[in-house]
Amino acid sequence: MENPLHIFELHKIVPLSLFGLDVSLNKAVLVMFLVVGLVALLMTGTCTSGSLVPTKRQSLAEMLVEFLRGMIHETMGPEGMRFFPLIAGLFLFILFGNLLGLIPGSYTVTSQLVVTGVFAMGVYLLSLVVGFQLHGVKFLGILVPPGTPGWLLPLMIPIEMISQLARPVSLAVRLFANMTAGHVILGVLFALTLSGGWMIGWLPFSFTVALYGLEVGIAFIQAYIFTILTCVYMGDAFHPH
Amino acid sequence: MPSSPDPLYAGLGQALRVGTTLLASLIVGGGLGWGADAYLFSTAPWGVAVGLVLGLIAGVRSTYRSVQHWE
Repeated sequence: MENPLHIFELHKIVPLSLFGLDVSLNKAVLVMFLVVGLVALLMTGTCTSGSLVPTKRQSLAEMLVEFLRGMIHETMGPEGMRFFPLIAGLFLFILFGNLLGLIPGSYTVTSQLVVTGVFAMGVYLLSLVVGFQLHGVKFLGILVPPGTPGWLLPLMIPIEMISQLARPVSLAVRLFANMTAGHVILGVLFALTLSGGWMIGWLPFSFTVALYGLEVGIAFIQAYIFTILTCVYMGDAFHPH
Repeated sequence: MPSSPDPLYAGLGQALRVGTTLLASLIVGGGLGWGADAYLFSTAPWGVAVGLVLGLIAGVRSTYRSVQHWE
Protein backbone atom coordinates (compact mmCIF):
# COMPACT_ATOMS: atom_id res chain seq x y z
CA MET A 1 0.00 0.00 0.00
CA GLU A 2 1.11 3.55 -0.61
CA ASN A 3 2.59 5.67 2.14
CA PRO A 4 -0.32 7.75 3.49
CA LEU A 5 2.04 10.68 4.08
CA HIS A 6 2.92 11.04 0.41
CA ILE A 7 0.04 13.51 -0.07
CA PHE A 8 2.02 16.02 1.99
CA GLU A 9 5.10 15.86 -0.21
CA LEU A 10 5.84 18.90 -2.30
CA HIS A 11 7.48 18.96 -5.70
CA LYS A 12 8.73 21.93 -7.66
CA ILE A 13 6.39 22.87 -10.48
CA VAL A 14 8.19 25.98 -11.72
CA PRO A 15 11.81 26.17 -10.50
CA LEU A 16 12.64 29.77 -9.66
CA SER A 17 15.58 31.37 -7.94
CA LEU A 18 15.84 34.89 -6.56
CA PHE A 19 19.22 36.20 -5.35
CA GLY A 20 20.33 32.64 -4.66
CA LEU A 21 17.16 31.88 -2.69
CA ASP A 22 14.99 29.00 -3.81
CA VAL A 23 11.57 30.52 -4.47
CA SER A 24 10.26 27.77 -6.73
CA LEU A 25 6.55 27.43 -7.17
CA ASN A 26 5.05 24.27 -5.78
CA LYS A 27 1.53 23.09 -5.12
CA ALA A 28 1.35 24.68 -1.67
CA VAL A 29 2.38 28.07 -3.04
CA LEU A 30 -0.19 27.84 -5.83
CA VAL A 31 -2.94 26.87 -3.37
CA MET A 32 -1.96 29.79 -1.12
CA PHE A 33 -2.32 32.17 -4.05
CA LEU A 34 -5.68 30.56 -4.78
CA VAL A 35 -6.78 31.03 -1.16
CA VAL A 36 -5.85 34.70 -1.19
CA GLY A 37 -7.57 35.16 -4.53
CA LEU A 38 -10.74 33.44 -3.35
CA VAL A 39 -10.92 35.48 -0.15
CA ALA A 40 -10.34 38.68 -2.08
CA LEU A 41 -12.93 37.72 -4.67
CA LEU A 42 -15.51 36.86 -2.04
CA MET A 43 -14.92 39.81 0.26
CA THR A 44 -14.11 42.81 -1.94
CA GLY A 45 -17.07 44.76 -3.09
CA THR A 46 -19.39 43.10 -0.58
CA CYS A 47 -20.14 46.38 1.15
CA THR A 48 -19.50 48.92 -1.58
CA SER A 49 -23.19 49.10 -2.41
CA GLY A 50 -23.92 49.73 1.26
CA SER A 51 -27.56 48.96 0.73
CA LEU A 52 -29.78 48.81 3.81
CA VAL A 53 -31.30 45.53 2.70
CA PRO A 54 -28.16 43.41 2.24
CA THR A 55 -27.51 41.10 -0.65
CA LYS A 56 -26.45 37.54 0.11
CA ARG A 57 -22.74 38.29 -0.08
CA GLN A 58 -23.13 41.50 1.89
CA SER A 59 -24.97 39.79 4.72
CA LEU A 60 -22.29 37.08 4.82
CA ALA A 61 -19.59 39.73 5.14
CA GLU A 62 -21.62 41.60 7.76
CA MET A 63 -22.08 38.44 9.82
CA LEU A 64 -18.34 37.78 9.63
CA VAL A 65 -17.49 41.33 10.69
CA GLU A 66 -19.93 41.15 13.61
CA PHE A 67 -18.49 37.79 14.71
CA LEU A 68 -14.88 38.99 14.61
CA ARG A 69 -15.72 42.33 16.20
CA GLY A 70 -17.40 40.56 19.11
CA MET A 71 -14.31 38.41 19.54
CA ILE A 72 -11.95 41.42 19.51
CA HIS A 73 -14.11 43.50 21.87
CA GLU A 74 -14.29 40.71 24.44
CA THR A 75 -10.56 39.96 24.45
CA MET A 76 -8.76 43.20 23.61
CA GLY A 77 -11.43 45.81 24.21
CA PRO A 78 -12.46 48.48 21.70
CA GLU A 79 -8.86 49.69 21.22
CA GLY A 80 -8.04 46.30 19.71
CA MET A 81 -10.10 47.17 16.64
CA ARG A 82 -6.97 48.53 14.97
CA PHE A 83 -5.90 44.91 14.59
CA PHE A 84 -9.18 43.98 12.91
CA PRO A 85 -7.60 43.62 9.43
CA LEU A 86 -4.96 41.25 10.82
CA ILE A 87 -7.47 39.13 12.71
CA ALA A 88 -9.90 38.97 9.79
CA GLY A 89 -7.11 38.14 7.37
CA LEU A 90 -5.79 35.36 9.57
CA PHE A 91 -9.24 33.86 10.09
CA LEU A 92 -10.17 33.93 6.42
CA PHE A 93 -6.82 32.62 5.22
CA ILE A 94 -6.78 29.70 7.64
CA LEU A 95 -10.45 28.89 7.06
CA PHE A 96 -10.12 28.88 3.29
CA GLY A 97 -6.80 27.06 3.47
CA ASN A 98 -8.43 24.32 5.54
CA LEU A 99 -11.52 24.12 3.33
CA LEU A 100 -9.66 24.15 0.00
CA GLY A 101 -7.44 21.35 1.28
CA LEU A 102 -10.51 19.16 1.64
CA ILE A 103 -11.11 19.20 -2.12
CA PRO A 104 -9.59 15.97 -3.46
CA GLY A 105 -6.43 16.63 -5.43
CA SER A 106 -5.89 19.96 -3.76
CA TYR A 107 -3.28 20.69 -1.10
CA THR A 108 -3.77 21.63 2.56
CA VAL A 109 -1.43 24.55 3.14
CA THR A 110 -2.17 24.51 6.88
CA SER A 111 -0.76 20.98 7.10
CA GLN A 112 2.74 22.45 6.68
CA LEU A 113 4.35 23.26 10.01
CA VAL A 114 6.28 26.03 8.34
CA VAL A 115 3.07 27.87 7.39
CA THR A 116 1.37 27.56 10.78
CA GLY A 117 4.69 28.19 12.55
CA VAL A 118 5.30 31.46 10.75
CA PHE A 119 1.76 32.61 11.51
CA ALA A 120 2.06 31.66 15.18
CA MET A 121 5.51 33.22 15.63
CA GLY A 122 4.44 36.38 13.83
CA VAL A 123 1.33 36.80 15.93
CA TYR A 124 3.19 36.10 19.16
CA LEU A 125 6.05 38.50 18.34
CA LEU A 126 3.49 41.16 17.41
CA SER A 127 1.78 40.74 20.78
CA LEU A 128 5.16 41.19 22.52
CA VAL A 129 5.88 44.33 20.48
CA VAL A 130 2.45 45.77 21.30
CA GLY A 131 2.88 44.91 24.99
CA PHE A 132 6.28 46.60 25.29
CA GLN A 133 5.04 49.57 23.29
CA LEU A 134 2.06 50.12 25.59
CA HIS A 135 3.59 49.27 28.95
CA GLY A 136 7.35 49.58 28.52
CA VAL A 137 9.53 47.56 30.86
CA LYS A 138 6.53 47.00 33.16
CA PHE A 139 5.27 44.50 30.56
CA LEU A 140 7.86 42.06 31.95
CA GLY A 141 5.42 41.82 34.88
CA ILE A 142 3.55 39.15 32.88
CA LEU A 143 6.33 36.83 34.04
CA VAL A 144 5.33 37.38 37.68
CA PRO A 145 1.82 36.21 38.53
CA PRO A 146 0.08 38.55 40.95
CA GLY A 147 0.41 37.57 44.61
CA THR A 148 3.65 35.60 44.26
CA PRO A 149 5.76 35.64 47.43
CA GLY A 150 9.33 36.82 46.86
CA TRP A 151 11.04 33.55 47.72
CA LEU A 152 9.08 31.77 44.96
CA LEU A 153 10.29 34.14 42.23
CA PRO A 154 13.32 32.05 41.10
CA LEU A 155 10.92 29.17 40.47
CA MET A 156 7.97 31.11 39.06
CA ILE A 157 9.86 33.16 36.48
CA PRO A 158 11.25 30.13 34.55
CA ILE A 159 7.82 28.48 34.71
CA GLU A 160 6.08 31.58 33.39
CA MET A 161 8.72 31.94 30.67
CA ILE A 162 8.06 28.38 29.55
CA SER A 163 4.32 28.93 29.46
CA GLN A 164 4.86 32.12 27.45
CA LEU A 165 7.15 30.35 24.97
CA ALA A 166 4.65 27.50 24.73
CA ARG A 167 2.05 29.85 23.28
CA PRO A 168 3.39 30.07 19.71
CA VAL A 169 4.36 26.39 19.82
CA SER A 170 0.87 25.29 20.82
CA LEU A 171 -0.73 27.59 18.22
CA ALA A 172 1.42 26.20 15.43
CA VAL A 173 1.35 22.55 16.46
CA ARG A 174 -2.41 22.48 17.08
CA LEU A 175 -3.40 23.63 13.61
CA PHE A 176 -0.69 21.61 11.85
CA ALA A 177 -1.40 18.40 13.77
CA ASN A 178 -5.16 18.61 13.37
CA MET A 179 -5.01 19.12 9.64
CA THR A 180 -2.29 16.51 9.06
CA ALA A 181 -3.96 13.87 11.21
CA GLY A 182 -7.35 14.43 9.61
CA HIS A 183 -5.99 14.04 6.10
CA VAL A 184 -3.94 10.97 6.98
CA ILE A 185 -7.02 9.26 8.43
CA LEU A 186 -9.09 10.19 5.38
CA GLY A 187 -6.33 8.87 3.11
CA VAL A 188 -5.96 5.57 4.96
CA LEU A 189 -9.71 4.95 5.05
CA PHE A 190 -10.06 5.68 1.38
CA ALA A 191 -7.15 3.40 0.55
CA LEU A 192 -8.94 0.68 2.49
CA THR A 193 -12.04 1.35 0.40
CA LEU A 194 -10.07 0.89 -2.79
CA SER A 195 -8.36 -2.29 -1.66
CA GLY A 196 -11.53 -3.70 -0.04
CA GLY A 197 -13.43 -4.14 -3.28
CA TRP A 198 -17.21 -4.05 -3.56
CA MET A 199 -17.81 -6.76 -0.95
CA ILE A 200 -16.43 -4.94 2.08
CA GLY A 201 -15.30 -1.60 0.64
CA TRP A 202 -18.57 0.12 1.50
CA LEU A 203 -17.69 -0.04 5.20
CA PRO A 204 -14.52 2.10 5.13
CA PHE A 205 -16.17 4.25 2.48
CA SER A 206 -19.04 5.15 4.80
CA PHE A 207 -16.47 6.04 7.46
CA THR A 208 -14.68 8.21 4.90
CA VAL A 209 -17.89 10.10 4.16
CA ALA A 210 -18.68 10.60 7.86
CA LEU A 211 -15.12 11.71 8.65
CA TYR A 212 -15.17 14.10 5.72
CA GLY A 213 -18.14 15.84 7.34
CA LEU A 214 -16.24 15.97 10.61
CA GLU A 215 -13.22 17.43 8.83
CA VAL A 216 -15.35 20.24 7.41
CA GLY A 217 -16.39 21.07 10.98
CA ILE A 218 -12.77 20.87 12.14
CA ALA A 219 -11.73 23.26 9.37
CA PHE A 220 -14.05 25.88 10.87
CA ILE A 221 -13.23 25.11 14.50
CA GLN A 222 -9.46 25.18 14.00
CA ALA A 223 -9.66 28.51 12.17
CA TYR A 224 -11.78 29.81 15.04
CA ILE A 225 -9.39 28.52 17.71
CA PHE A 226 -6.34 30.02 16.01
CA THR A 227 -8.06 33.38 15.68
CA ILE A 228 -9.48 33.53 19.18
CA LEU A 229 -6.16 32.54 20.75
CA THR A 230 -4.51 35.27 18.70
CA CYS A 231 -7.06 37.67 20.17
CA VAL A 232 -6.45 36.36 23.70
CA TYR A 233 -2.67 36.75 23.40
CA MET A 234 -3.04 40.24 21.95
CA GLY A 235 -5.47 40.99 24.77
CA ASP A 236 -2.80 40.01 27.30
CA ALA A 237 -0.55 42.56 25.64
CA PHE A 238 -3.22 45.26 26.04
CA HIS A 239 -4.18 44.35 29.61
CA PRO A 240 -1.49 42.29 31.39
CA HIS A 241 -3.29 40.63 34.36
CA MET B 1 -12.44 33.19 27.94
CA PRO B 2 -14.71 35.02 25.54
CA SER B 3 -17.89 33.42 24.39
CA SER B 4 -18.88 33.23 20.76
CA PRO B 5 -22.44 33.63 19.53
CA ASP B 6 -22.80 29.88 19.18
CA PRO B 7 -22.29 28.06 22.48
CA LEU B 8 -21.55 24.67 20.91
CA TYR B 9 -18.87 26.16 18.69
CA ALA B 10 -17.25 28.05 21.54
CA GLY B 11 -17.43 25.04 23.85
CA LEU B 12 -15.78 22.78 21.29
CA GLY B 13 -13.14 25.41 20.70
CA GLN B 14 -12.35 25.61 24.40
CA ALA B 15 -12.29 21.85 24.89
CA LEU B 16 -10.10 21.13 21.87
CA ARG B 17 -7.32 23.49 22.85
CA VAL B 18 -6.68 22.09 26.33
CA GLY B 19 -4.55 19.14 25.23
CA THR B 20 -2.09 21.01 23.05
CA THR B 21 -1.42 23.62 25.73
CA LEU B 22 -0.16 20.87 28.02
CA LEU B 23 1.89 19.26 25.26
CA ALA B 24 3.45 22.48 24.02
CA SER B 25 4.67 23.45 27.49
CA LEU B 26 6.30 20.04 27.86
CA ILE B 27 7.97 20.38 24.44
CA VAL B 28 9.29 23.85 25.26
CA GLY B 29 10.47 22.88 28.75
CA GLY B 30 12.17 19.72 27.58
CA GLY B 31 13.61 21.49 24.55
CA LEU B 32 15.11 24.32 26.61
CA GLY B 33 16.56 21.79 29.05
CA TRP B 34 18.04 19.78 26.21
CA GLY B 35 19.51 22.92 24.64
CA ALA B 36 21.09 23.89 27.96
CA ASP B 37 22.55 20.39 28.26
CA ALA B 38 23.90 20.19 24.75
CA TYR B 39 25.14 23.70 24.04
CA LEU B 40 25.46 25.79 27.20
CA PHE B 41 26.57 23.64 30.12
CA SER B 42 27.46 19.97 29.91
CA THR B 43 25.01 18.98 32.61
CA ALA B 44 23.27 16.10 30.84
CA PRO B 45 20.87 14.63 31.83
CA TRP B 46 19.88 17.17 34.48
CA GLY B 47 18.86 19.95 32.10
CA VAL B 48 16.28 17.79 30.36
CA ALA B 49 14.96 16.47 33.68
CA VAL B 50 14.56 19.89 35.27
CA GLY B 51 13.20 21.34 32.02
CA LEU B 52 10.55 18.63 31.71
CA VAL B 53 9.44 19.13 35.32
CA LEU B 54 9.23 22.90 34.85
CA GLY B 55 7.42 22.38 31.55
CA LEU B 56 4.92 20.08 33.21
CA ILE B 57 4.25 22.62 35.95
CA ALA B 58 3.90 25.39 33.38
CA GLY B 59 1.55 23.28 31.26
CA VAL B 60 -0.70 22.38 34.17
CA ARG B 61 -0.72 25.99 35.33
CA SER B 62 -1.69 27.46 31.97
CA THR B 63 -4.26 24.72 31.36
CA TYR B 64 -5.74 25.42 34.79
CA ARG B 65 -5.84 29.13 34.10
CA SER B 66 -7.58 28.69 30.75
CA VAL B 67 -10.14 26.33 32.30
CA GLN B 68 -10.81 28.63 35.25
CA HIS B 69 -12.83 31.01 33.10
CA TRP B 70 -15.26 28.37 31.88
CA GLU B 71 -18.84 28.76 32.87
